[in-house]
Amino acid sequence: MELAQVRYFITLCRVLNFTRAAEQCNVTQPAFTRSIQRLEEEFGGPLLFRERSLTQLTELGRAMRPHLEAMLDAADAAKALAQAKLTRTTASLKIGLGPGIGAADVAGAVREVTRMLPDVTIHFDESSPAALVEAMLTDMMDCVLLPDHCDLPERINRWPLYTDRAAVILPKNHKLMAKDVITGRDIMDETVLRGERCGDFVDRLLAITSYSLHLQRCHSSTSQILDLIGAGLGIALLSDRLPLASHLVKRPFHEPEITRRIFLTTVAGRPLNPAAASFVKLCRAQTFS
Amino acid sequence: MIEDDVIGSLKSRLAALCAARQEVAAWNTAYEDAVAELNRSGFLQHAIKEGEPFPDFVLPSAEGKLVSLKSVLDRGPVVISFFRGEWCPFCQLMLAALAEALPQIEAAGASLLALTPETGGFPLLMKRDNNVRFEVLSDVDCGVGLAAGIIFRMPKLYRARLESVGINVPERHGNSAWFIPVPATFIVQQDGLIAWRFVDADFTHRAEPADIIKAVQGLTGQV
Repeated sequence: MELAQVRYFITLCRVLNFTRAAEQCNVTQPAFTRSIQRLEEEFGGPLLFRERSLTQLTELGRAMRPHLEAMLDAADAAKALAQAKLTRTTASLKIGLGPGIGAADVAGAVREVTRMLPDVTIHFDESSPAALVEAMLTDMMDCVLLPDHCDLPERINRWPLYTDRAAVILPKNHKLMAKDVITGRDIMDETVLRGERCGDFVDRLLAITSYSLHLQRCHSSTSQILDLIGAGLGIALLSDRLPLASHLVKRPFHEPEITRRIFLTTVAGRPLNPAAASFVKLCRAQTFS
Repeated sequence: MIEDDVIGSLKSRLAALCAARQEVAAWNTAYEDAVAELNRSGFLQHAIKEGEPFPDFVLPSAEGKLVSLKSVLDRGPVVISFFRGEWCPFCQLMLAALAEALPQIEAAGASLLALTPETGGFPLLMKRDNNVRFEVLSDVDCGVGLAAGIIFRMPKLYRARLESVGINVPERHGNSAWFIPVPATFIVQQDGLIAWRFVDADFTHRAEPADIIKAVQGLTGQV
């Protein structure tokens, strides 16, 4: 298929009128129609119903539209980033981080974007999955990292990035530090800080075991929980990927192992600016160990 | 001088692999259907041609860097080769042949970029498994391939064949479009125009490294 054909089809999907779509694409209607017909031949069936005053997508057309739209966006984004690099375009990169998800894993991708576009402004926002998805849908956020088990609208794209494992975070000199691996039973006599915005590892543990834990609920972010651990208030189950200050230590948590998948999400069908598009591509292309 | 083990050797290796595969009836049917479908639809007429500009791009590399075509062109001509994916044994042969030809391509003053629609670390796997030193870039969602006019949707029979042997293309691409490039090779001269190309609807046919080397040497005058 050709770039122009796909562009014509996507324009037609938006305006559902051959004459207006051909005008918008700056091409004669016969040439426009032939181009769509050739695309239909390639896909092996009609993409549109053509009735006198009504143009509608067929089932095949509806199925192909998001894929063709994504491919067209990718073609435009690859070129736009090349252009933006030449012209030192200013742009912003707005990344949402779901509960307990750090920026360390995507920091390399952010660095690459800033290397290519030095004038980019970076925004990180930590919030609940619902608030972040709402921000994305209202165009306040380019992409969001979210854990599994989030209710996402159908129009949200999601790509798995990595698996997050629970680790026990302790202050240095804590008695559990001597253990290489900490189990659920080991923490039953400890005060466990349960941060509302720190990931739901404790909830996941309680959902699959009958353990009775001494929980200290905290309406706080991960960095505040880490401060509280350092002050000796208790220990916490957090992501094993969190970088820690030198006065804290982490130990793997086993029996049971608590994991969650982290996904990169964007709004389907919404073109991203060159900075955000390249960030998403970088994240999708690589593997996160 | 172009060495004999590079000249023509890829063609015979590809033919041998193709002959072996054709003994598997299910593979042969899917293969013949895919090639016939591309020939029937006149697919190849969409591919960009010699004298046309190659679409400018910035894409992520296997190692997580952004690579700009313009930056690579600043150093000399660029050989851009499209691959179907890490799972494709014909691509693996092509990659190995290009890895072998790389010193001569570089000696002639050119660079080599491999583009694949695969994501999720597969470009890095493809690079490591085939001991490749050149850049392997992820053409995420086939955007550059589309601009080059070499993307098609895998026919049903071929999709079913891949699924039956456990190759999860949607997972590898990060989408369920089943779009894939024909394994074309372009040589882009420093002004961004295409100086030479190889495009074939039959994915078992690839550009011969010896022809690539000769074309690059013709462009730069370096051996």
